[in-house]
Amino acid sequence: MAELTREQVVARAKQGESLAREELNGLDLSGTDLSGADFSRTDLEGVNFEGARLDGTNFKNANLREAFLSSAVLTNANLEKADLEGANLSKANLTGANLNRATLEGAKLTDAILTSALLTNAQLDSAELGKAMLDGASLAHAELVEAYLGGANLTGSDLSNADLSSANLEEANFRQANLSDAELAEAAAPGANFEGASLLRSNLRSANLEGCNLRDIDGRHANFSDTRTAGATLTGAKLFSAQTKTGRFDGVIAEWVDTSPEGTGTKRVSGDEVAAFLAGKLSEVPTATRYFGKGDVLRDASLEFGAGSDVEIDSRFEKCKIVLSEGTNLVIGEDGVLSECTISGLGNITIHGQFLERDSPGIIGPRLLVVSEQGAVAGAVEQAAESTQFAFAPGCSLRMKILRARAK
Amino acid sequence: MTNSYGGNAGPNKQTLIEEGTSLKGTLSSTCPIMVRGRIEGELETPSLAVSASGAVHGKVKVGELRSEGELAGEFDADTVSLSGSVKDNTVIRAKTLEVKLQSEGKMQVMFGEVELNVGDMPGDKDAGRNKKKGKKDDDPAPGGEGGEGGAAG
Repeated sequence: MAELTREQVVARAKQGESLAREELNGLDLSGTDLSGADFSRTDLEGVNFEGARLDGTNFKNANLREAFLSSAVLTNANLEKADLEGANLSKANLTGANLNRATLEGAKLTDAILTSALLTNAQLDSAELGKAMLDGASLAHAELVEAYLGGANLTGSDLSNADLSSANLEEANFRQANLSDAELAEAAAPGANFEGASLLRSNLRSANLEGCNLRDIDGRHANFSDTRTAGATLTGAKLFSAQTKTGRFDGVIAEWVDTSPEGTGTKRVSGDEVAAFLAGKLSEVPTATRYFGKGDVLRDASLEFGAGSDVEIDSRFEKCKIVLSEGTNLVIGEDGVLSECTISGLGNITIHGQFLERDSPGIIGPRLLVVSEQGAVAGAVEQAAESTQFAFAPGCSLRMKILRARAK
Repeated sequence: MTNSYGGNAGPNKQTLIEEGTSLKGTLSSTCPIMVRGRIEGELETPSLAVSASGAVHGKVKVGELRSEGELAGEFDADTVSLSGSVKDNTVIRAKTLEVKLQSEGKMQVMFGEVELNVGDMPGDKDAGRNKKKGKKDDDPAPGGEGGEGGAAG
């Protein structure tokens, strides 16, 4: 039984008096304005706050079990460690609210707005978060086992180390979200959008990823065993060391995937090799490697390297013409010098040594050009048709002209 | 244009060109400049930061340049860190330049037709032992100018 009436609560809040540690369970406070009030450690079990204005209100450690907060405005409210088990927060506005370590097991948050809310270590097992707005929210280490997140917007949210086992994520939007080290075993996520999300080291064992957008995900070291991915798009996914062998990748759409350890795109497989890679058979596909050792001098040569091969030059090349096929990785080692040479083709070039041109442009159409801190380039670079990606480390020496792609 | 003060401490003050603000002319400052809007003209400052919404077009002399926005013109700097875009006919002269590698499909910097003069003039470290007798060991330069580097075999 509440110790205060509705009117007394409103009056005390208006006067700025603290309501901390009061017994207010079962009270009807719907439609009131209690913004900024102090309800820390207050017993508010079963209280009706429907449509109430609670902007910046302090509910730290409060008991809000089974409370009715539907359509309440709780922007920037402090609900840290509050007990909201079974509470109804549907359509509530919790933008910027602090729910760190709050208990929300079985809570109803359908259509709630939780943009940029803090939910680190929050207990959300079996919570209903259908169509909730959680963009930019912090959910690191949150427990979301068997939670319902259908159609929820989690764009750019932090779900690192979160537990989403057996959660329903159908058509949810995880674009650019951080799900590194997250637990997603047996999650049902048909039609979900994970584009650009980090799933680094996450566990997706037996998850349903049918029809998902997995484009550009960072799935390195992730566990995809026994996943279902029919109709999913995987183009550009970083999958180095991912466990994909027992996943069902039939019908997956992937023009290419990134297999480089650092996820930089310097190594990738495309076409039919993608299926072989996902099946764990790519080690059977030989990668051609060419090495030109220190002390050797090569002059007036024409060299052409096939797709996907790795070439390393620690020698001195003079007046050579080098053609790189798509995906070829050319590394000019610290001792390597390419003098008066030309390099053309859609390869990936890393320069630790020197490239010194005579005919301009000396480098034509690379997909990627990296110059490390010891690297030096004197010359012009004509970009690839779809622009060249450049990376320059502090300490490198450049006398470089960057040119747009010329029409062929 | 406003001067923002990060707390009361004087050393934290910086000149701020806020989004939606456009400035044409010459700006010389002894404190760092943050550009979220647009500057066209001449600029001299110890430190210049250009946000993703910012643009600087003109002639710039700066100690430290960090840009996530749009650059065009002539930039003389000690250290440069770039993302965003660099427009046609831009020259960047710096002691050090950093452009980080982005993940596949994402471009850290979109370069137009740009000239980069960074660090020491690259020279052919092996030229001495490979060049023809009597040939001058010139430093190579972009576009083939002086680019022989004494490397002829």
